[in-house]
Amino acid sequence: MRKFISHFRFERAGLPATFNRRRFASPPGRARALTFPRRRGCLSLCGAVWLAALTPGVAAESLLLSGATVHTVAGETLAPGQVLIRGGKIAAVGQTVPADGAAQVDLAGRHLYPGLIALNTALGLTEISAVRATQDSTEVGDDFTPDVESGIAVNPDSELIPVARANGITSFEPVPQGHLISGQSALMAADGWTTEQMTIRNPLALHLFWPSRELDFTPKEKARNRAQWKSLADQDQKRRARLRAIADFFAEAGAYARAKDAAARGQALALEIIPAWEAMLPYVRGERPVVVHADEIRQIKAALAWAETQRCRIILAGARDAWMAADQLAARKIPVLYGHVHTLPARDTDPYDVHFRAPAILHQAGVRVAFTLGEGSFDAAMIRNLPYLAAQAVAFGLPEAEALKGLTLYPAQCAGVAGRLGSLEAGKDATLFATDGDILDIRSRVQRMWIAGREVSLESRHTRLYEKYKNRPRPE
Amino acid sequence: MSRKIASQWVCYLAVAALALGMQGHRASASQLLPPGFRPLPLGTHALTGGRIVIRPGEVLTNGTLVIREGRIAAVGKDVAPPADARVWEMKGTTIYAGFIDLYLPLEATNSAAASAPGEAAAGDGLTASGPRFFGVPGAQPDRGPAGPGYAVAGITPERQAVRSYAPKAAALAPMHALGFTAGLVAPARGIIRGTSALVALSGDAPNAVVIKPEVFQHIGFTPMESAERVYPSSLMGVIAAVRQAFFDARYYALDQADYQQNPQARPRPEFNPALAALAPAADRKQLVAVEPGSVLMADRAARIARELGLDFCLIASGQEWRRPDLAQATGAAFIVPLDFPELPSLPDEDDWEQVQLDSLRAWDWAPENAAVLRQRGLEIALTTWGLADKKKFRPNLRRALDRGLAEVDALAALTTVPAKLCGVASQLGTLEPGKLAYLTVVEGGSYFDPEAKVREVWIDGRVYPVPGEERGAAQAGASQSRTAAANKPKPAKAAADNPGERRRALQKTRLARSPLEGRGPLAEPKAILIEQATVWTCGPEDRLEDADVLFVGGKVKAVGKGLSRLSPDGDPLLVIDGRGRHVTPGLIDAHSHTAILGAVNESSLPSTAMVRIRDVVNSETANLRRQLAGGVTLVNLFHGSANPIGGQSCIIKLRDGAGPEDLVFDAAPPGIKFALGENVKQSGWGDRFVTRFPQTRMGVRTLIANRFIAAREYLARREQASGRSALPPRRDLELEALGEVLQGRRWIHCHAYRQDEILMLIRLMEGFGVRIGSFEHALEGYKVADEIARHGAAGSTFSDWWAYKFEVYDAIPYNGSLMRDRGVLVSFNSDSSELARRLYTEAAKAVKYGGMPEVEALRLVTLNPAKHLHLDARVGSLEPGKDADFALWSHSPLDSRTVCLQTWIEGKKYFDREQEAGRAAQLQAERAALLARAQKLAKLASGGGATSEEAKNSFFRVALEHEFDGCDRRELEE
Repeated sequence: MRKFISHFRFERAGLPATFNRRRFASPPGRARALTFPRRRGCLSLCGAVWLAALTPGVAAESLLLSGATVHTVAGETLAPGQVLIRGGKIAAVGQTVPADGAAQVDLAGRHLYPGLIALNTALGLTEISAVRATQDSTEVGDDFTPDVESGIAVNPDSELIPVARANGITSFEPVPQGHLISGQSALMAADGWTTEQMTIRNPLALHLFWPSRELDFTPKEKARNRAQWKSLADQDQKRRARLRAIADFFAEAGAYARAKDAAARGQALALEIIPAWEAMLPYVRGERPVVVHADEIRQIKAALAWAETQRCRIILAGARDAWMAADQLAARKIPVLYGHVHTLPARDTDPYDVHFRAPAILHQAGVRVAFTLGEGSFDAAMIRNLPYLAAQAVAFGLPEAEALKGLTLYPAQCAGVAGRLGSLEAGKDATLFATDGDILDIRSRVQRMWIAGREVSLESRHTRLYEKYKNRPRPE
Repeated sequence: MSRKIASQWVCYLAVAALALGMQGHRASASQLLPPGFRPLPLGTHALTGGRIVIRPGEVLTNGTLVIREGRIAAVGKDVAPPADARVWEMKGTTIYAGFIDLYLPLEATNSAAASAPGEAAAGDGLTASGPRFFGVPGAQPDRGPAGPGYAVAGITPERQAVRSYAPKAAALAPMHALGFTAGLVAPARGIIRGTSALVALSGDAPNAVVIKPEVFQHIGFTPMESAERVYPSSLMGVIAAVRQAFFDARYYALDQADYQQNPQARPRPEFNPALAALAPAADRKQLVAVEPGSVLMADRAARIARELGLDFCLIASGQEWRRPDLAQATGAAFIVPLDFPELPSLPDEDDWEQVQLDSLRAWDWAPENAAVLRQRGLEIALTTWGLADKKKFRPNLRRALDRGLAEVDALAALTTVPAKLCGVASQLGTLEPGKLAYLTVVEGGSYFDPEAKVREVWIDGRVYPVPGEERGAAQAGASQSRTAAANKPKPAKAAADNPGERRRALQKTRLARSPLEGRGPLAEPKAILIEQATVWTCGPEDRLEDADVLFVGGKVKAVGKGLSRLSPDGDPLLVIDGRGRHVTPGLIDAHSHTAILGAVNESSLPSTAMVRIRDVVNSETANLRRQLAGGVTLVNLFHGSANPIGGQSCIIKLRDGAGPEDLVFDAAPPGIKFALGENVKQSGWGDRFVTRFPQTRMGVRTLIANRFIAAREYLARREQASGRSALPPRRDLELEALGEVLQGRRWIHCHAYRQDEILMLIRLMEGFGVRIGSFEHALEGYKVADEIARHGAAGSTFSDWWAYKFEVYDAIPYNGSLMRDRGVLVSFNSDSSELARRLYTEAAKAVKYGGMPEVEALRLVTLNPAKHLHLDARVGSLEPGKDADFALWSHSPLDSRTVCLQTWIEGKKYFDREQEAGRAAQLQAERAALLARAQKLAKLASGGGATSEEAKNSFFRVALEHEFDGCDRRELEE
């Protein structure tokens, strides 16, 4: 019953023929940032209105952002400070930096933040949850499809991306979903004409959805699908088999890598190219991280035990019960993409705030916590609320500086792009945004944004409809 | 073949004997059987030397009991065995009145062939949704039983268990071994299931065994399970269907009588055997036995029975311990099963991790349930029903006794109480002269020693030995069970080493606490003064800095600066330091499904105006506490959005710990849920659901118009009939609810997304002279805000949801601000048990999107929903005279860093953050202790624990009350 009704919203539906998006068509939000608007009454929209009219162009050669409180994240917050942008990079950050003839941008009273990074999302791979034709996030197969890549399937014109961007999200990781090893993700900029132009890092990580340890206690006569019902013993056997399958798969991939190395050294015959094993190479060699998706404590512990046997870096995603293993995670320096701040308690003995407090508990133990909304389709539409997961954690004990890092620097580190993104430091990409208040406060509005030095539009389907209907003449 | 002939003979002879019985005790010549048959024994017996329990609490040692012609002729110490009696030496035995099991489902007693057709009629009675009272028929064919009947599936009161009772010997033998001599054979599937029969468990010819052919009318609160979605598919639908059926039965009797009087002046009424069969129950001539399935539904069953004027008893769910107060309030007799959950054997030690406290509690409480009911002064009868292995009955009864059930009550529950409930107290239940000779004979001093073997039972004056010891050698191969083993004599000292005894000893005391513990008000001061806080009045005074609020007697007394610390009536005053704190009215969630028992939708028919959420309020869900922790005090519970015309809604206050009816907040005209668009045209239901009308937005309007025209007609006919002697129209619960809408006594709250459908409903209802209460979600409300405002409906919306289905692709977070700018009364709701915990930060989104002033933003979750629910005279703002519903916050309620510190309802504290950590620790400690005991017991049992599927099922059965606790419930419905 429960399952059935959940389909009301999420099951497939056809896209009506009358659907016409030309009415709202516009190029990716990108604008020349050489002229600056007057202050407007409506702060949240001042960017959108005028930027929409501009034609796409190249980034300004050199910009000096001044007057704003600069949340460098890496170092201390400068109130106020200046940021010099040149050639798409941050040239300097300080209380005052030499202008060097850069165009001045007055951001008095504003706050400057590094762009927010949304890891572990279906953004770009989904449009409307209930419309199957718009779903590209979940592949099928025989449990292991490491050669599936998400970056190439992102829809650059998804209406969801500008909506995310309008609240500070400048890059995101579309995650392939499905079975045990679902594939590889990429890090994408929330702006660009093509997937290639959007791509920041590809591949980013391999995704391993750890098998559940939970037994299904539903009696056979109550099972929704009696043909698929399994006894507890059978379920136990199956979950053991799945764990073995993971170990085997990585062992086989390792053997392939060694055989390939041996062939390269002339110690063995050349191998036939097997795409799946090729895809596994960076992971068995420890060059790129494996994101393990696990929520329940027994899954997490099993994943940790498995990780001991691997060379690769592990990132734990979802991680509902990670707070129960905080010390182990800290000792092994495994960062956590916490996705359950807004999840109801799972156990009837849990305190009501168990998931509100989890990031603080992890932090106190020494775990780096980044935030994720989850990889569901609806989560992608709601990704703009990512900072408020961190804010809720702050209300329940996480230091604000850590919350901010959990939206910027820590995800950048997880994604292996901390040299380019995640903080406002000289040498990093000029990917940042200005707000009229604390980004952790829902009431604050994002007003300006630059991605790799280019100012981008904050217009979206939402602002366009807002403008349109705000101006609807009152009927007679 | 020969057996059949014999039984026909016996049957004939029994009738003859009965006819002759009055004339004397002489053995009748008609006991002569044709040659070839074994002759029948004579009918006079004297049982001497036994310990005779005449009735619970009255024992005769070394007495004699005389049986003549199937009846007890005499009983006493000085009774001499009659000369013609066969004398039975009963020394060393205890003789009880024969036990009666009050709930034997037909399928359990009948032989397979006999039970199939009888039970199928109720279980699979997929009578197509007739067009009578619930809207429009689906396109499914009528798969119900052929012939006349009631139009709703599962309502088959005309079924008589007695007509299909065909006992199988295999079902009787285990009952004899437990001491049972008579049983109530009941139809156990369907909703209004039919009548039960009291039968002797003798395996005699069917005609001979029936003691009373129709005893109870049986009702089960079991939704119809069918892939085709047959009405009623939900718990609330079942209750609506039951109510309607009884109203129909009353009407049917009047209608038939009217026809008898003027057969030529009126149309011929239809024949309905179901409604005719309900008449005895409706007229209080027959007890109704309700199987409600949970203690909350026991409460509801009692209320419905009182509304309908029925006499009733209840079949216990086994979980009355959850709310003994509600069980007690029913005042009903309970038929109590002893099917306790058994510990599972789990594949892996760490699988215990998955076991929730509630499962452990249910396991630990189960043996105490009978005692809990008895201690509350309720009459109980025991039943073997529910036991997959009937041999567990006596050990489980022993556990119930260990947990406080008195032996005298247990005996009454097997004898006098069931006899009384069946109305056969003059025939059965005690060992008094004149009663039927039904005896249960136990070796040793007490039935309640599970090791004491039932030697034999006597039924209608004939003995039925229980095979066992004397024939033990022959039977040994067939029965290796523990009971058989236990019957062998063994040294007394072995008992302590007996794993069974050790298990029993470990379970004698209860570790589990009551789920009611720690709930209810934490503090109830007469008066409260909050000093120097930021007060968000949400009234005309907006927000006051450094202000005080005085609450007296559950109401707001005053708001302002520098209020006196002297309580007006001299009552003790609780002073709360509000410095740095914020006070707001209790938050209101205008759209929720969070505390609904069972399904949120009656998703079978397109109009389900007859179902009421109030019937299925779940007072036990953990959601109440979790939302109190988010400052919420009042919630509007809606039926889901599966149908254009949904069910009647119910407003509750989160007075956690109170029973369902005491949560209800009745201060306003009630509402009804309507819905438009993708959900009701079944866009997302899958490929099978393409036949129910409507499948398009065009059809939605057609359907709603159709039902309102029908309702208008209904009102008109009722009006015409009033004051005249003519038969009034049949009461129709669907049209009655819609009629209330037409009369302005019930508000429509309509789930709607697209602007066209919003406009459609506005114009349609204006045509009926109806003002709509609110559009729910109204995510395109901003496109027709002027029209909504002009009509006068409110817009209860999400702060920022969008893109989850096609009709919300144009949803924008500016919706609230835009609607408000055009004069619509706007509120934000959760539609989610999770989101409901943080409505305050949802309100903040209105500041972000569209720049709503902060005091206005907070009104989105306080005063505005109070207004559109028409409750603003009582709640929604901190103004003198309103209810003292408020929350105390660490920061501004719109600040993401804020934490709710306390939540109060009507001057009583229901949440205090400082006590929460302690509460969780206590629950965790309780679970740890229970788990330790469970694991120890599981090890004691051979092989770890119960291995049968049934045992596992019972342990992991999630209580109906907690089925959705961990679920968002937002997916269920919008």
